[in-house]
Amino acid sequence: MVNVMAKGITKIYKSRRKEVVALDNVNIDIHSGESFGILGPSGAGKTTFMRIIAGLDIPTQGELYFNDELVATSNKLVVPPEDRNIGMVFQTWALYPNMTAYDNIAFPLRSLRMSKDEERKRINEVSEILGIAHVLNHYPRELSGGQQQRVALARALVKNPSILLLDEPFSNLDARIRDSARALVRRIQNELKITTITVSHDPADIFSIAERAGVIVHGKLVQVDKPSAIYSSPVTVEVARLIGDLVELNGRVEESNNKIYAVVDDFTFPINKVAANNVRLGIRLEDLKISDEVSLGDEWVFVGRARVKVSSYSSGLFRVTVVPPSNDNTEIVVMVDRPFDVGREVNLFVKSGKVLVFP
Amino acid sequence: MRIQGLLMAIPTIFFSFLLLYLVIWNLYFSFTNWSLLNPHPSFVGFQTYASLLYMEYFSISLSHSILLSVGTVVFGNLLGLLFASLLYFLGNEKMRSIYLSLLIYPLSISMAANSLIWLWLFNIHIGINWLLRLLHLPVPLWLSSPSTEFPSLMVVVIWAYAGLSLIFYLAAFMGVDKSLIEAARIDRANPLRILFRVLLPNSMNGFIVSSALLFLFSFRIFSPPYLLSGGPTNIFLQTSVVYMYYLFTTEYFAQASAVATIITAIATAVVIPYALYGIKRWMKHE
Amino acid sequence: MSSKPGRVNPTVKAAIHQLVIIIFVVIWLIPIYAMVINGLKSNVAVYTTPVLIPPSSPTIEPFQAVWSSLSRPLLNSLILVLPVAFIATFLGSMAAYFFYMLSNSFSRVSSFVSNFLFSLISLATFIPYQATLIPLTKLIADMGLLNTYWGLAFAFFIFYMPTGALLMSIFITAIPPRIIEAARLDRGSDWRIFYKLVFPLSLPGFISTLIFNIIETWNNFFIPLMLTTTPNMRLIPVTVQSFTGGYATLYNETFAAAFIASMVPLGIFIFLGRYFIRGLIALGTGGKGV
Repeated sequence: MVNVMAKGITKIYKSRRKEVVALDNVNIDIHSGESFGILGPSGAGKTTFMRIIAGLDIPTQGELYFNDELVATSNKLVVPPEDRNIGMVFQTWALYPNMTAYDNIAFPLRSLRMSKDEERKRINEVSEILGIAHVLNHYPRELSGGQQQRVALARALVKNPSILLLDEPFSNLDARIRDSARALVRRIQNELKITTITVSHDPADIFSIAERAGVIVHGKLVQVDKPSAIYSSPVTVEVARLIGDLVELNGRVEESNNKIYAVVDDFTFPINKVAANNVRLGIRLEDLKISDEVSLGDEWVFVGRARVKVSSYSSGLFRVTVVPPSNDNTEIVVMVDRPFDVGREVNLFVKSGKVLVFP
Repeated sequence: MRIQGLLMAIPTIFFSFLLLYLVIWNLYFSFTNWSLLNPHPSFVGFQTYASLLYMEYFSISLSHSILLSVGTVVFGNLLGLLFASLLYFLGNEKMRSIYLSLLIYPLSISMAANSLIWLWLFNIHIGINWLLRLLHLPVPLWLSSPSTEFPSLMVVVIWAYAGLSLIFYLAAFMGVDKSLIEAARIDRANPLRILFRVLLPNSMNGFIVSSALLFLFSFRIFSPPYLLSGGPTNIFLQTSVVYMYYLFTTEYFAQASAVATIITAIATAVVIPYALYGIKRWMKHE
Repeated sequence: MSSKPGRVNPTVKAAIHQLVIIIFVVIWLIPIYAMVINGLKSNVAVYTTPVLIPPSSPTIEPFQAVWSSLSRPLLNSLILVLPVAFIATFLGSMAAYFFYMLSNSFSRVSSFVSNFLFSLISLATFIPYQATLIPLTKLIADMGLLNTYWGLAFAFFIFYMPTGALLMSIFITAIPPRIIEAARLDRGSDWRIFYKLVFPLSLPGFISTLIFNIIETWNNFFIPLMLTTTPNMRLIPVTVQSFTGGYATLYNETFAAAFIASMVPLGIFIFLGRYFIRGLIALGTGGKGV
């Protein structure tokens, strides 16, 4: 298996007048056999990074190594994509529409000059694993989205690649089959131990597939860690926003009884000591609660009285927007298990130690 | 449908129907015996058509026309495909559009001017033969020998129209999802395999369009056979269109109309399906 | 993964690729090269030096020699072609708007009418126009318009107005139907919708169609050959023909004459070529661009 190391990878696109920096000095070391996720908003450069790994784009600066072998350097393709032994699943699958599923999967093998028997054996093997053995004679247009994706995955896997690249692999699937597709990819990665790199803007993909993840924002790699660690301690508010839903507030820092609080209108949020006078707060939705009770135990800290502004519904939970009584524009979203009437006053709580503070 | 919209289309509808009138006029007079000798034509049914079948010039010129069109379709497609592939796999977009312009510029020049230049180039002493002799290549006699006269005409027409085919293949290739090509590259397919297994099977549109337009454009060319031959009576270069012009100048009006009707019928047989099942369908898909 | 023996060096590959293209481009450029260099040769040089050898002492003599006989046809072409192509394209665009409305309405009759008209304008675009030689000449003669600008313009309209309508029909489909539906609900008159909405939105298509029509009209050889006989009314492509005396009897001025005849369309092609190409592509793909 292969480890992938990027040193100072920079990519600048020059259009007529302006230069666009797609990637800015990205350094990363992806271990052999690891499942690595790259998270970022669209247009942040994450797809460019993947294309550089595949050899479909050339870095403007920097070096890319596979197992200490230089494969690309400043404006130079040392090893072309066809010699990198890469399996790639494109965002749109990129199945050849003029070939059956079988021929699609066989396509990379034909370049390897393999005997027909060996070819058939490998295709049957991989299509058994992926559960597409019964659709091999169909053309891509006759397949469902999930089947197409599995054919694309089979095509990428059949040649025993050293690296598997997945570009937004689930974004074109129906929401209801995404999780089973994610589980399948994760299982195969676990079994085959292929170095896998998944690019996505959807944190769900990263959580379900990646052992480690890097976050790319505006072309810069800003954080590399386990997905759960990025979730609980993101370095910037952008990262926090990318990896999960978040209530964002601007607060004024105040001190009373030797404790530090961030004050937002009528609310006071307990925080750790900071140097600034004004801070940006981020709170995960699951770390907020509203209740008629006065206390919810030691784990939950009372923040203030709040008024219910909107009550709606989202995947099994009621989504209630509350505001402080004095300011109708400071909206805080809370997920609860029962609806609340609009206009009534409730108590707002936050989980202790869970308020993220950004300068 | 409101009346104002209809009024706006009146000029075009008027001239289109005028064309239809011209076509029907031809059809009508092709059933008469109108000529210099019969200034007061009378209806003779299919007699004019029948008389054409006995004219050697008619069948020779028609076969020339068809041979020229088929030849243009075959060689134009082959060259257009070759050029389009060469340009498609060129990484640099600027270079591509420069090369494209240099290969299709003949489409913008009048065929009359083209033919004049080629007349000189076909000169067996100082034309391209001078270069071929320098390179120790065989030197054809071009327009100076009956056996190479028609191929020479073909050279001019293919030189002029290969660009047409190039444009449509290139457009079709560009329309193929780029990630298919990238997937194929990652799958270690060489350019030839990408061309024949991925690009071409997904560019059938380019083939149909290029064939239809090459046929229609070459079927109606007049000035190259007319100018290269030195006159409408040169049997080796006479096409149907030239022959019809010759019948007109010698005032065999009914026969000229019959030939015109046959030419129109052949073109219509290609145009109508192309318009209704090609262009119109693609417009809907937008 | 490392470079395997036997694999051709990518730089060498790219060089061969370029070389093959350049060989074809050079072959394709031979005629225009011959036209330019031989136009600058003296009478004697044209007959004695190979066509592909540039003149040792360039001269503009041939251009001076042909100018007197080409200046009037050139002027005729300029006077006639530009307005004819513009009017044909503009009136054709108006018809294209009508066809667009027709094909977007649901009645069975209008779909038949639309198919019929569409076939008709396609036929007018692609027909070997030479086939209309006799009735067209007779028609123009009966109207007393032989040897006049009006007669030529009238004949050109028969073919190039439908061409304009066909190309514009293709370009107009790029406009979302919802926009026009909204305008109709706002009680816009058809003329206003066309002039204020459809025309501006399809302006690039209009320019492509116009360029296409200018080049096609300019290069039309047969129609002016039939409809003009007096030297004063000749258009440029027909006049160029008079520089050949039949059966390979060539005069040294052919190159200069061909150059003057080609200069306008070639200039348009060099500066506005992408519009011309887009017009051609529309004929073949229904508006999807390169």
